[in-house]
Amino acid sequence: MEDLKERIALLEDYIMKKCLWQFHSRAWDRKTQNDNILMKATQLLCDEPVGLETPLDRCYWADALSLTEGFQSRFEWLAALSKEEIKELMEGLKERIDFVTITGSLNAELTDPRY
Amino acid sequence: MPYHEFECSKCIPERKKHAVVKGPGEDLTHALPLGYLNTIPGSISERGCAYCGAKHVIGTPMKDVIHLSHGPTGCTYDTWQTKRYISDNDNFQLKYTFASDVKEKHIVFGAEKVLKQNIIEAFKAFPDIKRMTIYQTCATALIGDDVDAIADEVMEEMPEVDIFVCNSPGFAGPSQSGGHHKINIAWIKKKVGTVEPKITSDYVINYVGEYNIQGDQEVMLDYFKRMGVQVLSTFTGNGSYDELKGMHRAHLNVLECARSAEYICNELKVKYGIPRLDIEGFGFEPLSSSLRKIGLFFGIEERAQAIIDEETARWKPELDWYKERLKGKKVCLWPGGSKLWHWAHVIHEEMGVEVVSVYTKFGHQGDMEKGIARCEEGALAVDDPNELEGLEAMMTLKPDVIFTGKRPGEVAKKIRVPYLNAHAYHNGPYKGYEGWVRFARDIYNAIYSPIHQLAHLDISKDEIPTGAGFQTAKMLSDVNLSEEVVSSSILRQYTGKYDSVSDLRQKTYPEFKQ
Repeated sequence: MEDLKERIALLEDYIMKKCLWQFHSRAWDRKTQNDNILMKATQLLCDEPVGLETPLDRCYWADALSLTEGFQSRFEWLAALSKEEIKELMEGLKERIDFVTITGSLNAELTDPRY
Repeated sequence: MPYHEFECSKCIPERKKHAVVKGPGEDLTHALPLGYLNTIPGSISERGCAYCGAKHVIGTPMKDVIHLSHGPTGCTYDTWQTKRYISDNDNFQLKYTFASDVKEKHIVFGAEKVLKQNIIEAFKAFPDIKRMTIYQTCATALIGDDVDAIADEVMEEMPEVDIFVCNSPGFAGPSQSGGHHKINIAWIKKKVGTVEPKITSDYVINYVGEYNIQGDQEVMLDYFKRMGVQVLSTFTGNGSYDELKGMHRAHLNVLECARSAEYICNELKVKYGIPRLDIEGFGFEPLSSSLRKIGLFFGIEERAQAIIDEETARWKPELDWYKERLKGKKVCLWPGGSKLWHWAHVIHEEMGVEVVSVYTKFGHQGDMEKGIARCEEGALAVDDPNELEGLEAMMTLKPDVIFTGKRPGEVAKKIRVPYLNAHAYHNGPYKGYEGWVRFARDIYNAIYSPIHQLAHLDISKDEIPTGAGFQTAKMLSDVNLSEEVVSSSILRQYTGKYDSVSDLRQKTYPEFKQ
């Protein structure tokens, strides 16, 4: 368990330092971004098919692929994980990113109904 | 993350919640400075006003436009030429500035008549320019001048001209950021979708939140053109008024400065379904990742990769020459908004400097989230600082250099801290691979300037080493380096030209079949 937590912390730190997609300005945008990009990233890491039907899908996928390439080049231990372990890891990461950027965020503008 | 109370601001207790220190093991949910609030009375802010944000930051970089302030000439003067947003049409928007020259009598009797006279006079003085933006100011907003009505009258009388009215007087927000918001929303509501652009590529983007500071936009356009991507418009640096009216036909919005321009990207996504991709033009790795993502979106990633490989091979040895000499130097990263997070991590990773403090003059809490997330533990993060807080932070943190605007930059010089202009740059452009090396070169020159070393001596009390010879920057920077680094045949100083932009304007590009 500690191992999982530590690994999630490493992936979280990578996202926080290298990515911008998780910090859109409103809570609903952050939710959509986190849901789609981390879902596609999980599919990529598990060699599952990724939906690319719409321009929005392609945009999420470009961010997701960039993310997984970054993960794979920095965290060699990823290659040794099974699909189930990757899914567990990514679920934990998703929970953590949602918490830091949405549910636990102290940003008072997140719930402003307009852009 | 504990809040940080400045000694100098103890008399303004509300300031305490505007500064935090990033503690070990803490994250953004522990503490976040307040942001985008009215400046607390008694705190002498470094902010600009909402009119300045609309005109000076967003509107005026548009190149083929008469930018007219409806107000006193002072408002125009203070938003003229202080930022180097150059353009490829001989810098029309930098050379000339226009005001309706409102005086006391107009405040009493109304200023609409004088506005109309000035609009017509300006168009007649520059008959080749058929586009105008008019910016409301505090005085004319308070007296209720109907600028839209006057603009409509003129457009009826002169059907060949087009006018955009920006209603963002100085008081319309806590800082310049309020003006960024207003002009974003006004542009999409009033102008986007009124021109059908010519599409020349299968890959079409709007380049948003880019202001062509010393040529940044032209450097990035070079990469996009090499990839065969059509840039329909740039919002707004070196951008054309009519091109910006056709933003709705892009396939993708690539966004640099989210602080100033995410609003229009978000609205374009909602209204026209155009995706928003946040990118970064600063730093080798973030830029490479950004080009690759654009390539992936369009299915032309191999074109992006070719550019990344070529540019990295050309410029990385020069970046690394500076990195060896900048390692461990302490930096206060004190820009206006977006560079706080664009630079916070990458200058640490690619130049080896330590960011000991980040601040933002007009950023929102979202900018602080990004900035704090990206800087290292122990950094002091401050929202809307005042001059005394800046001084106290420099005295405490003892940075080797600060990156900020020219007003706080001059203050820093008084206490012998060199500064680089984070807004208008010293010797930019700083975007692009070469630009990033130029930035490293400027940091190096700031820290190791022999003149700066002499400034540390106080002739009223210090012993002046009259026997010692003059030391060059290299003598100062290389003193503790290993022989292997000093005599490396791979690493080298910047070898680019003084002007890295003008040649791009003459460049031809491969044609890609549609």
